[in-house]
Amino acid sequence: MEALLESYLPLVVFIGVALVIGLALLIAPFIVAYKNPDPEKLSAYECGFAPFDDARMKFDIRFYLVAILFIIFDLEVAFLFPWAVSFGDLGWFGFWSMMIFLGVLTIGFVYEWKKGALEWD
Amino acid sequence: MTIGLGHYLSVAAVLFTIGVFGIFINRKNVIVMLMSVELILLAVNLNLVAFSSFLNDLVGQVFALLVLTVAAAEAAIGLAILVAFFRNRGSIAVEDINAMKG
Amino acid sequence: MTLTGLFFYLFSAVLVASGLMVIAARQPVHSVLFLILGFVNAAGLFMLLGAEFLALILVVVYVGAVAVLFLFVVMMLDIDFAELRQGFLNYLPVGALVGVVILVELLVVVGGRAIAPEVVESVPVPIPDHDDVSNTEAIGQLLYTRYLFYFQAAGLILLVAMVGAIVLTLRHKEGVKRQSAAVQIARNPATAIEVRKVEPGKGLS
Repeated sequence: MEALLESYLPLVVFIGVALVIGLALLIAPFIVAYKNPDPEKLSAYECGFAPFDDARMKFDIRFYLVAILFIIFDLEVAFLFPWAVSFGDLGWFGFWSMMIFLGVLTIGFVYEWKKGALEWD
Repeated sequence: MTIGLGHYLSVAAVLFTIGVFGIFINRKNVIVMLMSVELILLAVNLNLVAFSSFLNDLVGQVFALLVLTVAAAEAAIGLAILVAFFRNRGSIAVEDINAMKG
Repeated sequence: MTLTGLFFYLFSAVLVASGLMVIAARQPVHSVLFLILGFVNAAGLFMLLGAEFLALILVVVYVGAVAVLFLFVVMMLDIDFAELRQGFLNYLPVGALVGVVILVELLVVVGGRAIAPEVVESVPVPIPDHDDVSNTEAIGQLLYTRYLFYFQAAGLILLVAMVGAIVLTLRHKEGVKRQSAAVQIARNPATAIEVRKVEPGKGLS
């Protein structure tokens, strides 16, 4: 297991470097930027509508439906990964077990297509 | 400073308790309750993977993958019910969910 | 080994802290963001345990999909969340009592546990050495053959989730005219044009 974790060490270094650069760019403006505020500069620049408003508004439910269908197919793909990696050892039994799984989910896909869940009217 | 099974189980126990506690104190907000359920399932998964790793048994990881699937489906359906309820009643307060009371 | 211990404490401290923030944050949007942070750190713990496939699936599925779904719902519903927080402090004592009892019970179990030696000897499927068979490959060799029925049950659960979500949330607007490409393409001059003989001095009726 030590070898496995060591192979992820570059990732840790990468995340550390990204963190340092991100924080540096975030903090640098507070230190070095030239500051001379006046009310007009501080007001939010928006054209045509009120600059301050409640960000929360009802938006279309179809976004939600798309997201939920994405989760389902995301999990389907998650199950495909180990199958693809170990495909050589699985033989025909493993092949057909995955085909049945995909067939079941294709039934759901056909259902959502027929119901028009993918339409955007 | 060797990290043993007990360390992981303790973290999972604390996380599980946080989830249960979250359900208790957010009695009015269904969304946070669903998130607490996600935390509980995450704690369970952590237990499964910790036992799998320390007993050198792969079955725990397979089962954790299935728990992950069920948790995602549960979140999807739970939020779908929440959205449908909100559209009918205009509120998600838990005490309004009493239409089936006899 | 000390590096592993260091990362264990880092990941678990951030995981527990973000779990607390999930249930205590004033805004549900912040709760979702802390949930994402918690999942990422749990993925780190999975990685430390050697379950690299599960760790990365946790990031892909939970951070990439489930948390985004929660974010959608939080932002989609137009709710006064301050009102929902009323009574937060009323429930705190009971919740804290139950939480402490459960935590103490769990920690007593964790502290007093012992693993029977025959369990360690008779593991059904030992984890193969990482150099020979990677974690993903080992799971694949097990899941599609030996645990076939669990795998198919997972497929059925996904099917039910898909159908349920569509049934619960799909509402079509009335009176929307949709484009049908097949009907458009199937038109020909015989069906699309009508030639009428117009007599002089009279319009078409």
